[in-house]
Amino acid sequence: MTSSLNAAFPDRTTTAPAVVAHQLIKHFGDLEVLKGVSLEVAEGTVTSIIGASGSGKSTLLRCMNLLERPDQGELTIADEAIRFIRDPEGNITGLDRHQLQRLRAKVTMVFQQFNLWPHLTVLGNVIEAPMRVKGLSRRRATALGEHYLERVGMADRRDAYPAFLSGGQQQRVAIARALAMEPRLLLFDEPTSALDPERVNEVLGVIRGLADEGRTMLLVTHEMHFAREVSDQLVYLDQGRIAASGTPEAVFEDPRCSQFVAPAA
Amino acid sequence: MDFSWLSDPFYQGYLWEGFVNTLWLLLVSAVGGLLLAVGVALARLRGPRPLAWFTWAFTTVIRGTPLLVQLFFFYYGVGRLLEGVPGIRESVLWPLLRDPFFFGALTFILSVGAYSGEVIRGAMQSVPRGELEAGRAFGLSSFQVLIRLWLPRALQLCLPTLTGEMILLLKSIPLVSTIALMDLLQAANIIRDETFLVYEPLMLIAGIYLATTVVLTLMLRLVELNFPGMRPTRRRWLPISGSGA
Ligand SMILES: Nc1ncnc2c1ncn2[C@@H]1O[C@H](COP(=O)(O)OP(=O)(O)O)[C@@H](O)[C@H]1O
Ligand SMILES: [Mg+2]
Repeated sequence: MTSSLNAAFPDRTTTAPAVVAHQLIKHFGDLEVLKGVSLEVAEGTVTSIIGASGSGKSTLLRCMNLLERPDQGELTIADEAIRFIRDPEGNITGLDRHQLQRLRAKVTMVFQQFNLWPHLTVLGNVIEAPMRVKGLSRRRATALGEHYLERVGMADRRDAYPAFLSGGQQQRVAIARALAMEPRLLLFDEPTSALDPERVNEVLGVIRGLADEGRTMLLVTHEMHFAREVSDQLVYLDQGRIAASGTPEAVFEDPRCSQFVAPAA
Repeated sequence: MDFSWLSDPFYQGYLWEGFVNTLWLLLVSAVGGLLLAVGVALARLRGPRPLAWFTWAFTTVIRGTPLLVQLFFFYYGVGRLLEGVPGIRESVLWPLLRDPFFFGALTFILSVGAYSGEVIRGAMQSVPRGELEAGRAFGLSSFQVLIRLWLPRALQLCLPTLTGEMILLLKSIPLVSTIALMDLLQAANIIRDETFLVYEPLMLIAGIYLATTVVLTLMLRLVELNFPGMRPTRRRWLPISGSGA
């Protein structure tokens, strides 16, 4: 199992960033949600995106696995420049399907609403993508799945169905599902916002452990203390623009951001 | 009450044949109809515009006209029309095209396809988008998302409704007695005509229908209860070696 663990960090020694986003612009109809956002996530670091509701945090995060397709900009993820199809004016009109599939095996996501597959068991949820997308045998995928379920403390519930688990347990399974792909980059979109307050810490604990392991993560969160604690980089998004970014200390002291952060800090 | 005719092997033969035909028709129509229903649902949700429109028209016509009229339409209308096609009597399909079973099954398959197609379409639309998005986010292809996530989930959501459709189908089957197919009702009709007993044969086949419905309901209920995700944990029918348990 150690070998598969190491495989999660193939490029620990290189310095190439896991993500380089340059001047991303995204519209929904007439609404410009991202107004030229540039962002770098260094390998082995944690970046948190904070900002008011509706400021475009989810949209930015979802551009990183291309669940949202930006209208303009450049994106390099896991050392691969995304080959956008563009019209003559440079607007993005399409994606390379094969590259997309490859990318999504390397960048996995944990959703606010968990989005587990209710007709699959806990283990079934975790091994689905390793088997169908990476082509692992059931035996190998199961070994991997059990390892990561162990990691999030859910191994004993491997045969349970999601509907019969608490929110915190479901989210931990969702994290195991994201880990089992052994991704270069983990995305979290407000992973604790749908949880009962008493369930928040069990999930934050797992994420903190992953940060300590040196996994590359990009997370959207409203948990300011947590963001400050685990992040190497903090990005404050305001109405589709990065209003401040840098170390958590620097951003929390930045006057542009202090008003937003103050009530929670 | 006179049930003495029951000991007559001829009548026993009719009843048995009627019962077997009823079950066969149920099975063929249910399997064929549900496959068609999935196609109907997909065509309406994801098909190209003309196909989606055609499917809508098909659904509307089938659901908007009486089943008995459809049965007559196919058997007397289409069936007789086909007889006029030159050379068809020599074709290998000819025995099929003269068989009332074929037209009965065709009518029921189309009917199940239309009604259950709408049920499945509704269920597919009510699968939470996030679940399918998670599939895409993990790199599954559209086809994998459909086969592994979308359809099974939709089925899980509409299984009780589909169960009801199957019970209704069973009870529509006596309609085929009107196209000279030996089903249970046709057997009862023959017995009535020959023995001049009206109630006894009817009561007997009503009893058989009731018993069949109860058994079918129980079987489908078992399917519902054992559908993945309906119980807290996966049931292991066989003790599988390895970790866990
Ligand atoms: N699929 C969509 N279609 C139209 N508008 C959207 C869509 N997704 C998000 N938006 C809008 O884009 C803005 C930013 O949304 P989002 O990125 O979800 O913000 P945040 O995650 O910071 O709350 C909001 O005004 C939201 O209503
Ligand atoms: Mg959001």
